[in-house]
Amino acid sequence: MRPIRRMFGWSLALAAALVLLPPRGEAFANAKIREVIDNPEMPTLQGGRHKLLGEAKANVFVFFRPGQAFSRSALIQIARFQKEMAGESVRWVAIVSDSYPAQQVEDEVQAVGLTCPVLIDRGDALYGKLGVDLHPVVGIADAQHRLVAYQPFTEINFADVVRARIRFALGEISRTQLEEVLHPRAATQSSDPQVAHRYYKLGQMLFKLHHLNKALEAAKRSIALDNTQAASHSLLGAILAAQGNCGEALAAFDRALALDKKDAQAVEGKKDCAGK
Amino acid sequence: MKHAGLVLTAVTLFIGVSALARGKAKRATPTHKKSAAPTYRPSNPLSKVPGALGPLPAGAQVASAHAPFEAGDCSICHQRDDKKNPGPINMPVNELCFSCHDELQDQINKREYKHPAAQQSCVNCHDPHDSRYPKLLIADTKTLCLSCHADIKKIVDTAKVSHGALDTEKSCANCHNPHAANVEKLLIEMPFDLCLSCHDTGDIEDHDGKKLTDMKKLLDTHKVWHAPVAAKDCSACHQPHGSANFRLLVLPYPAKFYSPYDPKNYALCFNCHDDQMLADPRTTTLTSFRNGDLNLHYVHVHQERGRTCRACHDIHAANQLHLIRDGVPYGPKGWILKLHYTKTPTGGYCTRTCHQKHEYNNTVSVEPKK
Repeated sequence: MRPIRRMFGWSLALAAALVLLPPRGEAFANAKIREVIDNPEMPTLQGGRHKLLGEAKANVFVFFRPGQAFSRSALIQIARFQKEMAGESVRWVAIVSDSYPAQQVEDEVQAVGLTCPVLIDRGDALYGKLGVDLHPVVGIADAQHRLVAYQPFTEINFADVVRARIRFALGEISRTQLEEVLHPRAATQSSDPQVAHRYYKLGQMLFKLHHLNKALEAAKRSIALDNTQAASHSLLGAILAAQGNCGEALAAFDRALALDKKDAQAVEGKKDCAGK
Repeated sequence: MKHAGLVLTAVTLFIGVSALARGKAKRATPTHKKSAAPTYRPSNPLSKVPGALGPLPAGAQVASAHAPFEAGDCSICHQRDDKKNPGPINMPVNELCFSCHDELQDQINKREYKHPAAQQSCVNCHDPHDSRYPKLLIADTKTLCLSCHADIKKIVDTAKVSHGALDTEKSCANCHNPHAANVEKLLIEMPFDLCLSCHDTGDIEDHDGKKLTDMKKLLDTHKVWHAPVAAKDCSACHQPHGSANFRLLVLPYPAKFYSPYDPKNYALCFNCHDDQMLADPRTTTLTSFRNGDLNLHYVHVHQERGRTCRACHDIHAANQLHLIRDGVPYGPKGWILKLHYTKTPTGGYCTRTCHQKHEYNNTVSVEPKK
């Protein structure tokens, strides 16, 4: 195999591994992402027995503890999602240890408005089997009962992340869209292009008021900060033309058209200047 | 006389803004998601101080000035180009601001989380003329934010341990975007990314002069991350505005290596982890650190000189499963006592460490060596 082809092969393998491998820390201790998990039938708080997983596209299960602030926040969100996603192929269960008095669990479930079955984990058997380690934590399994997502509670963006993980499991959003929620874009403040745009707008206003010298100064400051915007160059051209300086105006219109050949102000400005 | 003229301008502007706001409020329609009731009247107590939104008196030290005001182009915003009598503004406040600052309107519209104060009125925080503070703010950032956010003010004012970020550079705006953001609490980025943007060096000291960990280096060199770290949620354990606990922890956690077992000391860990994991002497489910059903967490912790979590676990990241650390600093010179932990398919062992080799097995208990 030629070195370049070999390199391409390795790169492809690495890229595939990066896509397939779950990010670190994102799985139960004893159940990794894509592993098929057990589906025990468990007693429920409401009476009777219920399976952990069903045939829905997204089987969402939440381990929680009554009397724990994080659990309460998580369950409130889950109760909201139940309503928001009613009618979709999502199956919900909550799981609680049998070490808590049934009344306490019932009060908690009622307080948060949770309506899904609450499975009682006798002797913390499921907790131990999966290696849950912390509360609250949300797991999502697909219709084949493969674990497709693991999400411990977070103080920040928990609702956004859980919603996106469910939507991804349902095939409603792409991997890229999921990643955008998991790693939201930074909301940074004032950059040079941003300030440049403000000077452009100021120049525009001053031009309308026929304060030509000041408008010219604003347009030039805008271009000095960001010279990639056709509109700023065509505004400069228009101001220069209004000052009777068609020579420099034409140069500005040309720079604008080089950036955007459809820039209307530059096209019109060039026509107006052509005869002068 | 000039001063009187400026005061008159300020009062006129304020009255003009309020009058226009009253007139327009009913017609205004909410354009932003999760919007508060639309009104153009500023609600920030600082912006209600008479003259707060007018030009500074002559001779005042100006840190920032609005370009049109600085250029004397009053009619960009007001009815007349007359500094002494510019008349009311041409349109409702935010509409006027966004006619130039349209990128901010765009950001507020597009981003998921919006600052109600910014949606309501830009002049809640900004003086449209000039200011003693950067960005035309009507007060220094911290004072301005805390004038509304009383809950945070209480935390900041009563904190025994404070966060340096609040008093450096942009203060609150070091972490929050006051207009809109893609992360809850108007955070500029996820907590992890924000924290690491400063804590990526070993040069930061705490209030006692002790160097803080270079978190970036630690995380780059340790592959197993604590769940909140992996979830980019430093705020699960740290209160960034100030705390009663060391290292800005949200709840108590023993700073020492040895401590008698008291669940209250471990409140931080029990915020997520089940306290039964340490409290039950026998278990087959609550922990895999057990010899048969003998809970070895219980054994380590329930002593007069009980080992705290930090004795065996690195809280942020480690190279071994279960965040088990390579070694612990021991003695006044910080000599590293290696743990020599090895994981086996059904258990594990530590050797040549605090004790001689002790092995454990989840399935069949291993008899300790005599």
